[in-house]
Amino acid sequence: MKPSVASLYQAVEIAQDIPPLLIGERSNTNGSKKFRECLLADDFDGCLRIGLEQEAQGAQILDLCSAYAGRDETADLTRLVKLYAESVKIPIMIDSTTPDCIEACLKLYPGRCIINSINLEDGGKTLDRVCRLAKKYGAAVVALTINVEGMAMTADEKVETARQIYQQAVGKHGLRPQDILFDPLTFTIGAGDESLFDAGIQTLEGIRRIKQELPGVFTVLGLSNISFGLPPASRKILNSVFLHEAVEQGLDAAIIDPGKSLPLAQISEEDRTFCFDLIYNRDQGEEKSPLMRFIDHFAERVETKEEDETQDKRPEEELHQKIVRGDKDGIEDILAVLLDRYPPLEIVNQILVPAMRHVGELFGKGELLLPFVLQSAEAMKKSVAWLEPHMPQVEEEEGTKILLATVQGDVHDIGKNLVDILFSNNGYKVFNIGIKVPAEIIIAKARELQVDMIGLSGLLVKSAIVMQESLPQYREAGLKMPILLGGAALTSDFVATSCVPHYDAPVVYCADAFAGLKALKDYEAGTLMATMAAPKNGKPRMKPGAKDVNIDRSQPIPEPPFYGLRHVVDIDPAELFPYVNEQALFRGRWGYRRTSSTSAEEYAELTRTTVTPLYEGLKERALKEGLLQPKAAYGYFRCYSEGDTVFVETGDETMAFDFPRQQSPPYLCIADYYRSRAEGGDVAAFFVVTIGEQIAVETKKLFEADAYHDYLMLHGFSVEVTDALAEHWHEVMRRELGIAAEKPADMTGYVTQGYQGSRYGFGYPACPDLDAHKMLFKLLEPEAIGVTLTETMEMVPEVSTSAIIAHHPQAKYFAV
Amino acid sequence: MEVSVRYICANCGYIYDPEKGDPMNNIPSGTAFDDLPDNWVCPLCYADKDAFDPLD
Repeated sequence: MKPSVASLYQAVEIAQDIPPLLIGERSNTNGSKKFRECLLADDFDGCLRIGLEQEAQGAQILDLCSAYAGRDETADLTRLVKLYAESVKIPIMIDSTTPDCIEACLKLYPGRCIINSINLEDGGKTLDRVCRLAKKYGAAVVALTINVEGMAMTADEKVETARQIYQQAVGKHGLRPQDILFDPLTFTIGAGDESLFDAGIQTLEGIRRIKQELPGVFTVLGLSNISFGLPPASRKILNSVFLHEAVEQGLDAAIIDPGKSLPLAQISEEDRTFCFDLIYNRDQGEEKSPLMRFIDHFAERVETKEEDETQDKRPEEELHQKIVRGDKDGIEDILAVLLDRYPPLEIVNQILVPAMRHVGELFGKGELLLPFVLQSAEAMKKSVAWLEPHMPQVEEEEGTKILLATVQGDVHDIGKNLVDILFSNNGYKVFNIGIKVPAEIIIAKARELQVDMIGLSGLLVKSAIVMQESLPQYREAGLKMPILLGGAALTSDFVATSCVPHYDAPVVYCADAFAGLKALKDYEAGTLMATMAAPKNGKPRMKPGAKDVNIDRSQPIPEPPFYGLRHVVDIDPAELFPYVNEQALFRGRWGYRRTSSTSAEEYAELTRTTVTPLYEGLKERALKEGLLQPKAAYGYFRCYSEGDTVFVETGDETMAFDFPRQQSPPYLCIADYYRSRAEGGDVAAFFVVTIGEQIAVETKKLFEADAYHDYLMLHGFSVEVTDALAEHWHEVMRRELGIAAEKPADMTGYVTQGYQGSRYGFGYPACPDLDAHKMLFKLLEPEAIGVTLTETMEMVPEVSTSAIIAHHPQAKYFAV
Repeated sequence: MEVSVRYICANCGYIYDPEKGDPMNNIPSGTAFDDLPDNWVCPLCYADKDAFDPLD
């Protein structure tokens, strides 16, 4: 008998005479809003109707998924399986990653179904369990080509991962090859991501080789990812053509929305050509990329449908759109046409600058995310660079001039550089004078360059103080231009009450680069005002944490494996990735936020098709090019506390680490977590870790090459991998101390400190003062791992972090 | 806006779940994100309310 799956009513062959086997995707909480809403309303009949609809539309199998945070997946899915088993004639695919839930469903289902899915992400633990279930209940399984290093991007990786899964499933668990449907993963070729231009080719090649090299197995694809980022009309067409190509390579099954699939015969030869060029990344000797030609081709057709008259887009409009879309391809051609009609400066002022302002507005409304804004800025930069040789030499720069600097003692430049990118590409003249700039230099430069405004940046808590304390200096120097302040540790309250009074011209708090842009516009309009203390409801920000804390100092003191310091230089960079806080990276560092106009489904799709592949690509590149060189200097020392001080004994000498105490209840201080001498003394642990300067060098190169988008991506990546190293090393040290019994199950567990004790970074809220670095460096000698201190006690390279580790069970984050 | 929608801190990944509230800031369970005071901050990294994205 041919390999089949079956419901109570019928058997369905996996290898159809006319492939592919169509698997309906809509009975899925992640894939269909309607299905999800029905489930959340406990409308199981509604959930069933979506299945019946897909059956009527031609689905031959139904994927069934009920995973939804906060609901009982097993209760929901077993109920749905029962319903579907009775009322739907076609077999189902159980879509869950929870083995217990899968088993509960398999027990119930009166036929042979498919399990969706297994992979090697966790090294094979879950795969082992699910394969045993498949064997026991005779089910087939979908296997995704994901391994411990992440999603397989290239054909080679896809085949290799499939082979590893095959060895486990067939070799170890005794499944037959025909019991496995390999999904070699699809990534979008529609979003303009350079690293994904051949993603279609890699997937097609993956299908062909998996079928060839692992005889007897089947293949399946979740199809619609391929076209993510494109307008709906063209997505439908591209999906259909790609499906056809995949089947040509041997694809057996496709997970699709059967209501939206379009037969190839209904697609014109011409349309197919544009699809083929995009899928196979063929340039056809044209200057424009296949993606741009694809977008242009289908965009025009939609327009002629709606409005017959606009046959040709005006070049002015086209340039505007290219800037807004962040599309650099072929932008010179449009500029050349426009240069025949307008003086270059007029192109800048009448088309380019307004387009960038529009981009800013879209960002403000939450319709455009930061990474896309940076792509627009790149298109702007390219346009202005192209026009520059045609512009007359202007002796005196017109327009508003602004000086930017990161303040003394602070090496962080990402915030300042984003402001630079945005300002300079909005037509302002920017003088970016770098990091760690003392107030005297800023004052001298502001005079020399006759700027209209000064922008000061700084990430550290201390930088906020530096800004506050230097303002009287600016006043005494007689400066009269407004000063913009930006940085993570600033708040509008702080600026209004502690900064504004110390300077004669307006001092303005800017929460981000766009707020700075608004301040510039206000300045030009003559309406710029100093930030006012106007807390939204008259209350200062809350101070989290219990207000009444008694620290029990009779807790046992752990025994470290050694006293003194050690240096570790052979940390495997791949070990850090599981500790990366992906949410903080994607949303915080990269700006892929979910805005008010985005649904949870759309955001999940953005994450799946754009952000995750970007991240996977960076991880791969970082490993391949040796960008990560993680190292640690750490140690354990006998210590005792006295008031706010922890005295650390090295054997030769005793160092006094003074920690600040909270000024309001519960009046915590890091020293409170350590026993005093009379109480028998304690153990203090410290580390300095770094991922090495190579990645910082690469990041700088990108900024200097005006590759703004990639600059932000690599910078954010390096910041979060540094944090991951800190998280990892903290865990290593907890293990060495024998206090690692509670290991967090996932990233959320680490975020919420679901482990014993806490680590306090120097320069962070519980000990903002960096001066302790002086003693810390004597203690740990991190120069040996390549970390040094600046004159203001900051670590170089920037991708380094330090901490004191408290083992006390009550120790958790707090802010002084 | 639904009361039960969870929100995630874009800066650190902390999830505000209305079902649990936020004991660190004395926010009782059953408080919708929208009903949190404007001066509420992330209990872990002290980011403002507008650093939060809807999760569900």
